[in-house]
Amino acid sequence: MSSPTFGLHELEFQRIQAILSKMRRELRAELVLLISRSGQPIVISGSSENIDCTALSSLAAANLAATDGLANIVGEREFSVLVHQGRQRSLFISDLMKRFSLVLVFDATASSGLVRYKCKHTSLLIEDVIRDYQRRIEKTEPVSSLPQFSDAELEELLGS
Amino acid sequence: MTFINYVAREINCKIVYYGPGLGGKTTNLQYVYQITSAENKGKLISLATETERTLFFDFLPIEFGQIRGFRTRFHLYTVPGQVFYDSSRKLILKGVDGVVFVADSQEERMDANLESISNLEDNLKEQGFDLAKIPYVLQLNKRDLPGILPVEELKRQLQVKGEPCIEAVAPQGIGVLPTLKAVARQVLVELRKSA
Ligand SMILES: Nc1nc2c(ncn2[C@@H]2O[C@H](COP(=O)(O)OP(=O)(O)OP(=O)(O)O)[C@@H](O)[C@H]2O)c(=O)[nH]1
Ligand SMILES: [Mg+2]
Repeated sequence: MSSPTFGLHELEFQRIQAILSKMRRELRAELVLLISRSGQPIVISGSSENIDCTALSSLAAANLAATDGLANIVGEREFSVLVHQGRQRSLFISDLMKRFSLVLVFDATASSGLVRYKCKHTSLLIEDVIRDYQRRIEKTEPVSSLPQFSDAELEELLGS
Repeated sequence: MTFINYVAREINCKIVYYGPGLGGKTTNLQYVYQITSAENKGKLISLATETERTLFFDFLPIEFGQIRGFRTRFHLYTVPGQVFYDSSRKLILKGVDGVVFVADSQEERMDANLESISNLEDNLKEQGFDLAKIPYVLQLNKRDLPGILPVEELKRQLQVKGEPCIEAVAPQGIGVLPTLKAVARQVLVELRKSA
């Protein structure tokens, strides 16, 4: 058994993108990301020109994982939210269903209380999307099929 | 967790390089970074001590090209091999899709190799994975050094399930890409099966 595969499809993408964009506008945040706890960016909202989102996602997931480790050591179940306050930009990282995480890059002068509040609300909306999706897969035929490549195509990709 | 993005048409997988301290895990990633063209790689991030021992992990995102119109992206991670960083190793294994075990071929590192494999098995189990089932490749590194054990001996002691076993000299790049491709192949075959 390997990890469960997670697929992102057009419908969920659109819904999540809309939710993230709304939060980003309301908070005037620079960048909002939904990432997997294994460190992959899933949906990005905002201008990512100056920020390496792949690296950001990997480090944010590791940061959250390390913080969970710290929580265990001091006898907490989790510290579900992380805030890093900078001089110009701040970073907010929070857990979402243990499988995902929300990451926000926002202006350091913004209220982190408001960020926390909006994030909680947004997390609930995204959870709904994910639950709908799970229901949809359980009920219907596979939503869309994985690429069924041949051995020859695989060898071509990995060609020696 | 393999993440398939049907919108951007990408397959994203996570590969972890495991093994005893100073075995050459970071060197593997550095070599992959060196030879991969700029458009197919991201930044190499190393969270290391001032003596260049891995403290938390190294991270390198790379891309192999397309299959059936899907870009195949691999996120490569190394763990810290030093025994006392065990809690960090556990965290890095979260959501792993395939493991490369970088063994040190030197005779005096045999016990360290064995300890690390057993540690890998335990830590995978803790994350709900089974070493017997996960995509896995054994790399026998440091083949250029004197005082190394013969390949047959290393295989006998370290192979856990007939996994591909690849000889390497990581700083020279020998065996590095074959190792990566061997694990990538297994991960993609697993993915195809789950369809
Ligand atoms: N001669 C030789 N030296 C090697 C080889 N592979 C790695 N080294 C050297 O061994 C040392 C340790 O390599 P690293 O890649 O940092 O080892 P690591 O497994 O990442 O170690 P940790 O981060 O402590 O777990 C470096 O000086 C490398 O240059 C090899 O195949 N041959
Ligand atoms: Mg290292």
